[in-house]
Amino acid sequence: MRIAVVLWIFAVMAALPFPAEAKAAPLEEIRRILLSEALEPPPPAVLESLEEAGLQAFLKQFDPYARYFPARDYQSPVSGREAWIGIGAELVERDGEIHLSVYRGGAADMAGIPDRSKLLEVDGRSVAGLGAQAVASLLRGEEDTVVRLVLTRPGGERLDVGIVREAFKPLDVEPVPPGDRQILRIREFVAGMTRPALQATIDFLARRGAAKDGPLIIDLRDAMGGDLYEAFDMAGMFLPAGTLLGTIQGRGEEVREVRTSSGEKYRMPLALIVGPDTASSAEIFAGALHQQGRATLVGRRTYGKCSSQTDARLSDGSVLRYTNRDVLLPGGGSCSGAGLVPDREVSDAELLDLARLVRVVDDILAGK
Amino acid sequence: MNRQTVVLMMLVAGLLGGCASGDQDPRSGGLLGGISGLSSGAYENRVKEREARLQQLRATQSQLDAEKGQLEAQKSTAQAQLDKDQARVKAMQSEIAALDKKTKSLAAMEGTDKQAVADLQKRVSDLKGKMNRQASSLDDLEGSGLGDEDLDLRRTQLEKQRDALRKEYELLMKMQMELAQ
Repeated sequence: MRIAVVLWIFAVMAALPFPAEAKAAPLEEIRRILLSEALEPPPPAVLESLEEAGLQAFLKQFDPYARYFPARDYQSPVSGREAWIGIGAELVERDGEIHLSVYRGGAADMAGIPDRSKLLEVDGRSVAGLGAQAVASLLRGEEDTVVRLVLTRPGGERLDVGIVREAFKPLDVEPVPPGDRQILRIREFVAGMTRPALQATIDFLARRGAAKDGPLIIDLRDAMGGDLYEAFDMAGMFLPAGTLLGTIQGRGEEVREVRTSSGEKYRMPLALIVGPDTASSAEIFAGALHQQGRATLVGRRTYGKCSSQTDARLSDGSVLRYTNRDVLLPGGGSCSGAGLVPDREVSDAELLDLARLVRVVDDILAGK
Repeated sequence: MNRQTVVLMMLVAGLLGGCASGDQDPRSGGLLGGISGLSSGAYENRVKEREARLQQLRATQSQLDAEKGQLEAQKSTAQAQLDKDQARVKAMQSEIAALDKKTKSLAAMEGTDKQAVADLQKRVSDLKGKMNRQASSLDDLEGSGLGDEDLDLRRTQLEKQRDALRKEYELLMKMQMELAQ
């Protein structure tokens, strides 16, 4: 489980019109949409029992990814991130331990906290036994305030550090040290934004001396999804024009094949690091490249969600998210429920150690 | 020996002792060290040495001044580039606003494909959001705490994203014109 330690600045939200008062959910509209468009609609008789109270639980019963957002709580997943105030890290919860996934250039990075450090205390309070949500609320605070953390580095050394919470906007694609290698981290697939950012970053590193034909490693351990077509477009950067990337099918719709388009192509060896948080669009990106024999997967089995959701704006400005399509990978199978199995599986501990993962990738690419 | 002769001999011995010390640093020669330095020419050497050091310092200073000038020039080039980028984004925001207006008027027209217009409206609205994000990202580059390399990278990413948004704008413009016909 992963959670962003951020407080979103609702700049975009503020610009969206929404009712001043909380209104009742437009149940009739929700019933109609689910009945006509959901991939697996609830039976009509059951839909009739839909009520305002327990709406989220009702939706989850039929579609684990369905959700209702009152107008003021909604932020479009295609708009990308604005900026946040925080320590510039996300929490990764693994076997009851909390680790930090540190953003390049954020406050935690600037304070010298290595990625995947284990969090022990926040402002003198032990985080033992606390879930990610509870720890996140301990970490949140006003801009320019200090939070004191006790951590252990991946090597085991203890670290006691004060971090000033600050406004921060992460890079859309982050180069990960060592900088002379092409190791990039992608955390989300934002429509129309992540692909150009990936291209720009690869070209930037090449200008800075990275070997153009040297292996490219993309770290998808923290990539929980985003826009489906962005994922396909990004996979297309590494495959010849016309290659099958997958198929999409909605209820009662014809199966639609998605193939790569022409454009700039990258031919360097490609390895993707995946883990249990790698989900949805990230799995589709990884799955398409893997099944077309273009990328090696290293890490742990992925989450297992190869379906697509859509956000329907309702008449009162609220939004209904529901699953409307299934996505099949080039081999014809879905990753839903099963996840992607890496070519080389590592232990949970190894998954936290990027240097070790890079060595595994190097061994595979060297044929060891 | 009378008392005067003894004092003179002691002074001569002292001077000779100073000369024989071999220590050319006037500061470490004891009471008469400075005098001995003067008499041996080491003081002139010391002055020359100091002048050489001063010259070295002046050279380092002018090198630092040159580097500062270079950095300031780089900074002003970067600022000029940023100003240019901001102007481009502003121009694109105006173009998208005009497209948004046209799309809205299209929605009010009789006989247009309502679903197609609604889809177009959604895409224009997404594009508008992304351009606003570009604008705020560029604003953030001013006075950002990011290191130089990360700033360069962010600028490169933004530039590539802007090219992609420009393509999306051109496509939507074409769609809008087709729908209007």
